[in-house]
Amino acid sequence: MTNLSQVAPEFVEKVILVGNPNVGKSVIFGRLTGRYVNVSNYPGTTVEITRGEVRDRGRLIEVIDTPGVYSLHPMSEDERVTRDILMSEPGSAVLQVCDAKNLRRSLMITAQLSEMGLPIVVVVNMVDEARERGVMPKIEKLSEEIGVPVLGTVAVRGKGTDRMLSLLPEARPACVRIDYGELVECAVSEMEKLIPDDSPIGQRAIALMLLSGDDSLSAWLATAISENRIREMNDVRNGLVARMGENIAYHVNQKRIQWTERLLVRMGIEASGPPSNGMAQRFGRWAMDPVYGVPVLLAVLLIAYGFVGAFGAGTLVDLLQNRLFGDALIPAVKRVADAIIPWEIVRDFLIGDYGVISMALSYAVAIVLPIVGTFFFFFGVLEDSGYLPRLAVMVDRIFKRIGCNGKAVLPLVLGLGCDTMATLTARILETRKERLIVTLLLALGIPCSAQLGVILGMLGGVGLTASVIWFAIVVGTIVLVGFLASKVLPGDSSDFIMEIPPIRFPQIGNLIVKTMARIEWYLREAVPLFVVGTVLLFVADRTGALAVIERVSQPLIVRLLDLPPKTAGVFLIGFLRRDYGAAGLYRMAQGGMLTHVQVLVSLVTMTLFIPCLANFLVIIKEHGLKVAIGMALFIFPFAILVGAVLNFAIRHLGIAL
Amino acid sequence: MTEYGQDEILELIWSLREGGRPTREALLRSTEEESPESLLDELESGGFVDLASDEIRLTKTGEERARGIIRRHRLAEVLLANLFDLEDSQIENSACKFEHVLSEAVTESVCTFLGHPPVCPHGKAIPRGECCDKIRTEILPLVTRLTDAGLGDTVRIVFITPKSRKRLEKLSSLGIVPGSRIRLLQRNPSYVLQVGETTVAVDRDITDEIFVKRT
Repeated sequence: MTNLSQVAPEFVEKVILVGNPNVGKSVIFGRLTGRYVNVSNYPGTTVEITRGEVRDRGRLIEVIDTPGVYSLHPMSEDERVTRDILMSEPGSAVLQVCDAKNLRRSLMITAQLSEMGLPIVVVVNMVDEARERGVMPKIEKLSEEIGVPVLGTVAVRGKGTDRMLSLLPEARPACVRIDYGELVECAVSEMEKLIPDDSPIGQRAIALMLLSGDDSLSAWLATAISENRIREMNDVRNGLVARMGENIAYHVNQKRIQWTERLLVRMGIEASGPPSNGMAQRFGRWAMDPVYGVPVLLAVLLIAYGFVGAFGAGTLVDLLQNRLFGDALIPAVKRVADAIIPWEIVRDFLIGDYGVISMALSYAVAIVLPIVGTFFFFFGVLEDSGYLPRLAVMVDRIFKRIGCNGKAVLPLVLGLGCDTMATLTARILETRKERLIVTLLLALGIPCSAQLGVILGMLGGVGLTASVIWFAIVVGTIVLVGFLASKVLPGDSSDFIMEIPPIRFPQIGNLIVKTMARIEWYLREAVPLFVVGTVLLFVADRTGALAVIERVSQPLIVRLLDLPPKTAGVFLIGFLRRDYGAAGLYRMAQGGMLTHVQVLVSLVTMTLFIPCLANFLVIIKEHGLKVAIGMALFIFPFAILVGAVLNFAIRHLGIAL
Repeated sequence: MTEYGQDEILELIWSLREGGRPTREALLRSTEEESPESLLDELESGGFVDLASDEIRLTKTGEERARGIIRRHRLAEVLLANLFDLEDSQIENSACKFEHVLSEAVTESVCTFLGHPPVCPHGKAIPRGECCDKIRTEILPLVTRLTDAGLGDTVRIVFITPKSRKRLEKLSSLGIVPGSRIRLLQRNPSYVLQVGETTVAVDRDITDEIFVKRT
């Protein structure tokens, strides 16, 4: 299916983590491999495959984390990723992770895994939550029923997880045989004859997928099956459709559900006290209540502003930029440089106008880092608490207007952290149309945390009117462009069917690890680009290229937007990193080079400006070069246009800022 | 089959009246019955219509009988169109048979089950029945849309009529299937359901397609 099948032969064993969304696969992956992958409390955190390894008593085991699935009959891109990895990694064992509260749904996947003939170990996670609610199934009975090792865990606290590896050698295909009724069974056995013996997963599973009308198998079919065979397969399926209609997948699912129900009854539930209904769940209800939901949202925004805007962008930036860099570090470096470096050009390279230390490092570490750090921490709290899916419920109707549904709020809010990461997360949306709209809106109008922090800091200096205008224009643009895109782009929007996880108190350990991982990622990605950008500017400045760029862009920057020529350079580096561009504006404003109107115009233009390089690359990766260039060709003139109209309006309407 | 024929004539009079004046001439032009004249005479002698003038008038008993026929016919149309997505021609054929056979109790169940629809698929008014009155002393345990289920009540799903197969599969993978017990937690800003220990948010067009019964 993919080139993934040719990886690393030195691994003795492979284990693939499979399960419903939001059951803790990534936490278990982390426990096994010691590698951190992003963990949150909402379905769809993992959209790609992550690989890691673990050594257990001399054996080297490769561990593969997969996106959560509702079914192995894929309905969205991330579900398909999981099904495909099961087909392309023959010889792997499967660690099926289940939610103890929702074992019913996990068992549906167990049934499908057993049809695939894959050896499995079942891990029933979150037994603490199931016991609290009085719905804990007797899982020791499960092992007897389906004949595979079953283990109860509380992965976030590390309970039971140390036994997972020792159970792996006992993994075997589950003894599950669901009778789908005579009609289907006849068709299955006919279909099985047409499927080669050496297919990567059980023929029964493939037969059922094909009969259910799974069109995502075509890539595999093209390589494995001859055209004649495919025609015969269609005959078998058409024969079945003629006798029982198109709802084969539904019928199959119904039979599986009946099997799970009977199995659960045979297993029974642990005796327990009355289920507790805590504060957390009450808050969970309020957060998506049409009345209480609004104050909850406002409170969340207020806390975000206080923590990220006031504490991060205010106190911490002041501490780092003015105290650490301004008062201590840069003067010290300057003294040392003056003393030991005889060449002026080298000194300028380090601490001049476009110096690596005075510009790149002080932007990256002193201005952007504290803002990104506080944002990532706060965002982590939101993710782990389970608030975000409730926000999706609140905004669903608004998002309908822009051709998406409430689910689209997840990538958009994540975009406030980093548009690049968020563009990847757009995969949780089911249709291409929705993914395109969200990708476009992310690239166009969603400022990333670093940029947002800098913008808020600057707007704070200009006043409330400017802040309101900026906010209204950005939100208005997002809604307008989303609305137009939903009319122009072909295709459908998907149903809003979204699982709401329980509200949980964030685990401080996970929060810290997650924030640190994101900060590390930020430093690794951003700082080199900051340095590269600064070096480019330094060279451009020295060679006179910067002057040329400023002159060429004069008609746009100076005439249309009424900004100082120097802004051209800032916009230029804004393409490398948007936050870097914003930080450049911040410096210019601090230096008194911008009037209030100019601050507002430049901020609006910068917010809507083309996405940064990394984001652009991810758009190419997800949607192809043509789409990416198309988006850039729309966004670039559009941003300048909005800036120009705003500039014109303010000056001619005489709005005082 | 004179009763059948009488029903057809009464139905036609009602429809003609909706479009203007039901004259004898217009009736004879549009009817498909074999001997409309004699059917009209039967109806007159039965006290259902008044043929004194050119315009055919329904008597009080005739009005009631026609009302019932129209009501059953149009409810049947809604039932067939909404639930089974049948073609217009098929709907018309079957609805014509339904109108003669549905008993009063069944009609009320169908009406309640469909949520007391005010108009038929062609946009014509459906005469109201007793069951449509809001103020009642007793509430009957009937099938309703999940959309109309009481907040917090546990109900059992009777069947689902999804727009697409994909939707049905998605719902069933979340455990929302006929037979499962479900609770409607809130309606705004989205519908929130609880199935077992799973909480799911969905749109109204989905809860409209899930039919439930009180348990």
